[in-house]
Amino acid sequence: MTAPDSTILIDDVPVPFKPGQTILEAALEAGVFIPHLCFHPELGAHGSCRLCNVIVNGRNISACTMKAASGQEIEVDTWLGESAQAYRRTLVQMLFVEGNHFCPSCEKSGNCQLQALGYDSEMMTPHFVEFYPHRPVDASHPDVLLDLNRCILCELCVRASRDMDGKSVFALAGRGMASHIIVNSPSGKLGDTNFSATDKAAHVCPVGAILIKRVGFAKPIGQRRYDLEPISEEATPRREVEEAK
Amino acid sequence: MLNLETAQSPHKLRRVAIEPVTRVEGHGKVTILLGDENRVHQVRLHIVEFRGFEVFIRGRPYWEVPIAVQRLCGICPVSHLLAATKAMDLIAGYGPLTPTAEKLRRLLHYGQIVQSHALHFFYLSSPDLLFGFESEVGKRNVLGVAAAFPDLAKQGILTRKFGQEVIRHIAGKRIHGTGVISGGVNKALAQADRDSMRAGVDQIVDWSKAAAGLVVKLHGTSPEFYKNFGESRANMMGLVDQRGAVDFYHGALRARDADGGPIFDQVDYATYKSLLQEDVKNWSYMKFLHIKTLGPDKGWYRVGPLARVQVTDFLPTPLAEAERQKFLAVGGGKPLHGALMYHWARMIEMLHAAEMARELLDDPDIVKTELMADKGPRREEGIGVIEAPRGTLFHHYRVDENDLTTYCNLIVSTTNNNQAMNEAIRAVASRYLSGHELTEGLLNNIEVAIRAYDPCLSCATHALGQMPLEVDLVDADGALVSRARKG
Amino acid sequence: MSATAKTSALPKVRAATTSLAGCFGCHMSFLDIDERILDLMQIVEFDRSPLTDIKHCGPCDIALIEGGCCNAENVHVLRELRANAKILVAVGACAINGGLPALRNSLDVGDILNEVYRTPDGAASNVPKDPELPLLFDKVYPVNEVVRVDYFIPGCPPSGDTIWKFLNDLILGRMPRLDPQLMHYD
Repeated sequence: MTAPDSTILIDDVPVPFKPGQTILEAALEAGVFIPHLCFHPELGAHGSCRLCNVIVNGRNISACTMKAASGQEIEVDTWLGESAQAYRRTLVQMLFVEGNHFCPSCEKSGNCQLQALGYDSEMMTPHFVEFYPHRPVDASHPDVLLDLNRCILCELCVRASRDMDGKSVFALAGRGMASHIIVNSPSGKLGDTNFSATDKAAHVCPVGAILIKRVGFAKPIGQRRYDLEPISEEATPRREVEEAK
Repeated sequence: MLNLETAQSPHKLRRVAIEPVTRVEGHGKVTILLGDENRVHQVRLHIVEFRGFEVFIRGRPYWEVPIAVQRLCGICPVSHLLAATKAMDLIAGYGPLTPTAEKLRRLLHYGQIVQSHALHFFYLSSPDLLFGFESEVGKRNVLGVAAAFPDLAKQGILTRKFGQEVIRHIAGKRIHGTGVISGGVNKALAQADRDSMRAGVDQIVDWSKAAAGLVVKLHGTSPEFYKNFGESRANMMGLVDQRGAVDFYHGALRARDADGGPIFDQVDYATYKSLLQEDVKNWSYMKFLHIKTLGPDKGWYRVGPLARVQVTDFLPTPLAEAERQKFLAVGGGKPLHGALMYHWARMIEMLHAAEMARELLDDPDIVKTELMADKGPRREEGIGVIEAPRGTLFHHYRVDENDLTTYCNLIVSTTNNNQAMNEAIRAVASRYLSGHELTEGLLNNIEVAIRAYDPCLSCATHALGQMPLEVDLVDADGALVSRARKG
Repeated sequence: MSATAKTSALPKVRAATTSLAGCFGCHMSFLDIDERILDLMQIVEFDRSPLTDIKHCGPCDIALIEGGCCNAENVHVLRELRANAKILVAVGACAINGGLPALRNSLDVGDILNEVYRTPDGAASNVPKDPELPLLFDKVYPVNEVVRVDYFIPGCPPSGDTIWKFLNDLILGRMPRLDPQLMHYD
């Protein structure tokens, strides 16, 4: 029951898949990189970031939600003859200008998926007018910092806390431009919840919005995850980010 | 002493501006007000930049602060990184650093002093000294020096490169690295990196000695001019160790008056607010500091190389100390206050830093792997002071129990020199410009006096803020119930 | 790129540089090309730059801009360089997205000034006010929100090798492109 019984074509290369896998899961398992932010192997698909958009038999779909099926012809790097990189770059640019993503003094730099996808899509400038929003920082928890300047609304923390930790510490509130993460306590502060630094939700954030405190810049430049290899070379599905201690 | 600061009737006078001041770091402009027959009535160095760092850093976690604050300056980020981390060492509750961590931080600092002083002398100032203050504008820059004196230019470039490579090996990048963290450093020095630096340092010591020799030769072409140009008699301040020798990385505060007599000595730098006072003048974003006990007219002072080599009792490395003795001999027992004497003092310091770096590279501790200090109880407040290339640098922070910064105060090196620089350019203006037709070359004389101080003007717009202590009582919805204020 | 008899017969590429609301780190990183500057000067000459004494820019081929716009003077200088340069390059995080100085953007600049220049008793503020001081903006603006930018070199600062690769590509007529190990936002 473990042998794959079919293949899909990704940029003209046959890729095996198991029944029930999505295109993204099959691709990552085969070492084929499709950019993504809101997908996590243990939490499944969300379909919100749109970075994994591909063309399947001529139609735009998110690779994380579409189940792989025999006969699919999938375009990842070129869409209908055009380079797809510029479209992905635009998505990354929009994410950058919406928050306050100041890489130079952010401890997630070098370990950050958003930054790594910026490099991967050769984003040289955020291009759009910067929002410079005023976003809260919640340091009330003794061990975990919540810095919403960097939140990209992927809801990995919401899903992990609900489905894996059984705690439902985080939720998304508001609509449209006003959407934001909120904390499940009467005060709205993380320190007033039963959140713990050992929760799965404390380790799934792809950017620097949820951080274990007092780790900072312990990992030297040159030894950070994306110093060692670019995100596109990651052969296995996204590993849990290890917080250095 | 302040007679050229504010003219009687400025609206009746003609304005000439040097805008921007070039071959310095950051933005400055000089305005000169002239009356009949081109008599100089007013000269001011305006610092026109404002950052507001000490306000916008509030609310950031303390381990982020040194990495952010070093971005005040691209020439001396290591100084800010070290001073801020020294403050955060205390706040985070760390005890004494391991020998390896302290030595790596010191090596990093000496590397920085070598590159910064080399940059300033070779890339920024040498065109004036080698070609003449009023030489042709098109040639009066580092590329002109490289064309006319290729061997000298190459030595200068490679000396700076050595310092930058030391920084890269320890901090991870040449500019704005992350190698220094609260409690120590984040990476041990690899043996291969240590060997490569050790192989290069002897040459750097030789070249630094030659650079000091070059300045001596330049002085020899016109000794009185070099001694007196841009002179402003100033009190002097620097950090000294327990022996009374200047220590760039750590020490206690010493100040001497313009005649070399004592003002204060071996004072804990954490008490800086009781020693130093700031004033705001309307016409510059950079504040003016003076020693409190002496008042604003007599208490302004100088920091940096010209102060340090005269505040120290000796330099603890032999070649630099020998050069320092030659330097002191020019004053015949009295301290020297001419602006151009800074260049000589700066090359003496570059030599000293190179010798100190060599000692550390020969020290077996430098490649060991015990990098982090032990941690004790947290503190609310920390002050870190260091001798940056440009002078004494103060970083002062408070951090709350949630690890967020609540208070930041910075006295950046060049701010200490604000009045001294203004005095120097007034001296030049009244001696050389007043009564003359103002040519481009004559105006460059003013810039030469400023350049000698090696000002770092982007850093310098930070303040000794007498911040009141504010306590807010808020209810569960965040609404203000009451506020208490002190100070 | 090495100097040859052929290249010395061609007119030099004229470059202007400026640091607006920057820390000068990108200029220092440019100097991190170390001794390669001796080769560069066979082909490039500098117009207005913090490294020269030319106070105002004339016609030039390339303008390298470090720093964003925090006050009116920054914009005047930026526009002067844009008007005179065929190609304008935003170098470093500050020019590209505002950088460290832009961390003040979510705060009110008046509040910041009042805090910094508060009198010792806390009762009032002596904010410097003089016609010689350029007007401060409400926010720090990235360069591409003020003028048209032709190329961007990210980094804080971009390394000397990154700047060198870019200049080589540009001057030799290639499309400037950074290899992965030269691409950093920090």
